[in-house]
Amino acid sequence: MVRFMFRFIAGLSLILASLQVSAALDIQTWQTTKGAKVMFVHSPGLPMLDIEVVFDAGSARDGDKWGLASMTTAMVGTQTPELNEQQISQQTNALGARISGNVGRDMASFSLRTLTRESILQPALKLFTESLTQSVFNPQIFERERQRALVGLQQQQVSPSQLAQNAFWKGVYDQHPYGHPVSGSVETVKALKLADLKAFYQRYFVSANATVSIVGDLSRTQAQEIAEQLLADLPKGSAAPALPKPKGLSEAKQQIIDFEASQTHFRMGQLGVERGHPDYYALFLGNHLLGGSGFGSLLMEEVREKRGLVYGVGSGLAPLKVAGPWVSYLSTKNESAKEAEKVVKDTLVAFMDSIDDQHFQAIKDNLIGGFPLRIDSNAKIIGYISMIGFYGLPLDYLEQFPKIIESLSKQDVLKAWNRHFHPEKMVTVMVGKPG
Amino acid sequence: MAIKMKKEIKKFGLIALMLSLTTPVWAQLSDFTLDNGMRVLVKEDHRAPVVVQQVWYRVGSTYEQAGKTGLSHMLEHMMFKGTQNLAPGEFSKIVSQLGGQENAFTSRNYTAYYQVVGKQNLEKVMQIESDRMRNLVIEDAEFDKEREVVTEERRWRLEDQPRSKLNEQFNATAFLNSPARNPVIGWMTDIRHYKAQDLRDWYQKWYAPNNATLVVVGDVQPKQVLALAEKYYGHYQPEKIPQLKPQIEIEQEGLRRIELKGNTQVPTLQMGFHAPSLLTAEDQREVYALSVLSSILDGGESSRLPQSLVRDQQIAAGVGAGYSATDRLHTLFELSGTPANGGDVKELEAALLAEIEKLKTTLVTQDELERVWAMDEADHVYYRDSIQAQASILGSLVSVGLPADTLDNWIENIRSVTPQEIQAVAKKYLTLDNLTIATLYPDGKDHSNLKPYTGRL
Repeated sequence: MVRFMFRFIAGLSLILASLQVSAALDIQTWQTTKGAKVMFVHSPGLPMLDIEVVFDAGSARDGDKWGLASMTTAMVGTQTPELNEQQISQQTNALGARISGNVGRDMASFSLRTLTRESILQPALKLFTESLTQSVFNPQIFERERQRALVGLQQQQVSPSQLAQNAFWKGVYDQHPYGHPVSGSVETVKALKLADLKAFYQRYFVSANATVSIVGDLSRTQAQEIAEQLLADLPKGSAAPALPKPKGLSEAKQQIIDFEASQTHFRMGQLGVERGHPDYYALFLGNHLLGGSGFGSLLMEEVREKRGLVYGVGSGLAPLKVAGPWVSYLSTKNESAKEAEKVVKDTLVAFMDSIDDQHFQAIKDNLIGGFPLRIDSNAKIIGYISMIGFYGLPLDYLEQFPKIIESLSKQDVLKAWNRHFHPEKMVTVMVGKPG
Repeated sequence: MAIKMKKEIKKFGLIALMLSLTTPVWAQLSDFTLDNGMRVLVKEDHRAPVVVQQVWYRVGSTYEQAGKTGLSHMLEHMMFKGTQNLAPGEFSKIVSQLGGQENAFTSRNYTAYYQVVGKQNLEKVMQIESDRMRNLVIEDAEFDKEREVVTEERRWRLEDQPRSKLNEQFNATAFLNSPARNPVIGWMTDIRHYKAQDLRDWYQKWYAPNNATLVVVGDVQPKQVLALAEKYYGHYQPEKIPQLKPQIEIEQEGLRRIELKGNTQVPTLQMGFHAPSLLTAEDQREVYALSVLSSILDGGESSRLPQSLVRDQQIAAGVGAGYSATDRLHTLFELSGTPANGGDVKELEAALLAEIEKLKTTLVTQDELERVWAMDEADHVYYRDSIQAQASILGSLVSVGLPADTLDNWIENIRSVTPQEIQAVAKKYLTLDNLTIATLYPDGKDHSNLKPYTGRL
């Protein structure tokens, strides 16, 4: 039991901003001969290597075949021309390597973690490379994985937080490619064909649509060779086209989903900004104060500490390729749902009107002082450089972040918030029996 | 590729993680004891200018009595609500302004508090952490509000989560007289009836330097940490710490079974056999054998349960095995699973038991053993990427009374386990008379009316 667990909302990849002191990371970048972008940080502390390969192949590319990106990600690496499924898992485990896939709205990503001892490194790289780039789509495995996905989707239908989440994205994005759940729905997953997955793999799993990030105990020369070999068997292809820009809401939308439970799950929010938007810094700083920093934030103070209404409450921005959402969230006993909603709204409105000096300085101190914690492990470093590479942020993004935060005034934050956020035009979702 | 999914058995958390880790490089571990009995462990890691401080108290839900379950967890919440020197909430505000991250956690065996900060801020967090070791103030009004927060936490974690509820009731069925049956968060009726004085008494009883361990990992020098520890914790007087009654779990003499009905679309299954831990075992080799056995069943995608039940037979959508070898008390060897789409939970139960029977009749192979070793060896390097994980492993070991170097010898002990020993522990512990089975079934209510409607709130 932890006193407060940050309830990072599935679907919002809250690798929030990223702040570093100037003890900057030496990020190196180049392109492979086949046009993939590579990001590299030499990290000699431990005899291990992390690689993350990201394709612009998230659920935003599903079209009307919801769950396509998710099922493709699950299938990649289950079989290759040389190895069957059992051989792949046995070899991976026998090397102590960890290989996994993950999928979100913007990206499908694949990770390898391995020791750098030569007798392990080379076979691990070979296995990862073949899994990723020579994947065979076996119909029996597909059917089995589809059935497993359906079990998960059925369970989502009785998960109030998942229902709230899905309704919120739908409310904000409607028909936009971000509007549907990453894992699709029971109906759409049932309708998927293996040929759909193959076509998706052939279109999006190509070099020009890939970003490769490498962190670990190896030289740049080694990293260059690894990146080159990793994608050697993939066609060059072309990058995915730009996504349409989502339209903001012209009026408030409110939705109650009747659900038998002791608590009501609440979401309220709207469209935020895309990665790289110049106002992101001011919005991020403001959100950190409003609901993004746990016990340092206003929502926690007002809803939990002053009134004891919730265990978890907060808010987050999820900048994506095109404007991602801002969302506030909590869950509370049904009887308190409307009171909690009012406190969240009042806190938001008051915050957008004025910010207390002391609070403002404290939250800046938190962001600037907390900077070294954000890059204190290889796992965190690869998360950041992969984000910087995928979203095309400047290489000195991390270095600049605390400097920009430092330079922002209260007025900058308030102006940005009032420019982008409209409490009278938000999506509100309640799942439960708010009474 | 296997998309990261929730593991079937999650409750082991830290302990399960720990047991997949291994061996030395304890060269940098410094182990001190202050004059007042407080243990101080320091591990250097100079990769980043960052440090984690953790303070571990030897008190958790297995220290609690019926009617007051969850008291340790509630006290963990109150530790943020002010001292003679700090106002309620001020602790967190100070850490936040330093740019630090902090939290706390309670388990069966311990309660721990931590902060991660830039190394220049270690002294400040040590000062305020030491303050609340002895100077906590529990005000009635703050207590009343925080008790509401804890009831909301329980609703969120348990009341609306049928699978968590199943686990809670499973545990209370498998353990009849041992306090291992207590839920860490406490039963709702117990939470509702805490008095502020209960918390004050609990604090007085357990929060003392000689019942605590300080763990510091990061970009520090051990001598500097020791000097700070003496300055901030060293002046407290030791207390007389109560001796717990053993409350040894009675022997199970026949299968136990419970059913729970809840708001779920698919049934799930949880099974557990009583088993010793490193602390309660007469022969620790049995514990190492059970640990390897657990990995053979569920260590990596190539292990038996995912290979056999999910992929070959396609009986399960998900399966798991887990064994918490470092519990303070007698523990459980657990299995869990969710049937495949449209599948039968009885069939899954039979298939899981068939896997257990196979262990009794056929020796595990050398290939399987080697995969377990390889994963353990690699994990031992990977976990060192996180200073938090390094500190947590040390803290959890010494808090149950295990040597700080238990992991030193882990790989060696694991590697010496023979196929015959694995077969022997399977025969001895994984028997039907020693088994508890809990099954969650859909409640049969019609949930198809979950059509969202739009309206004014």
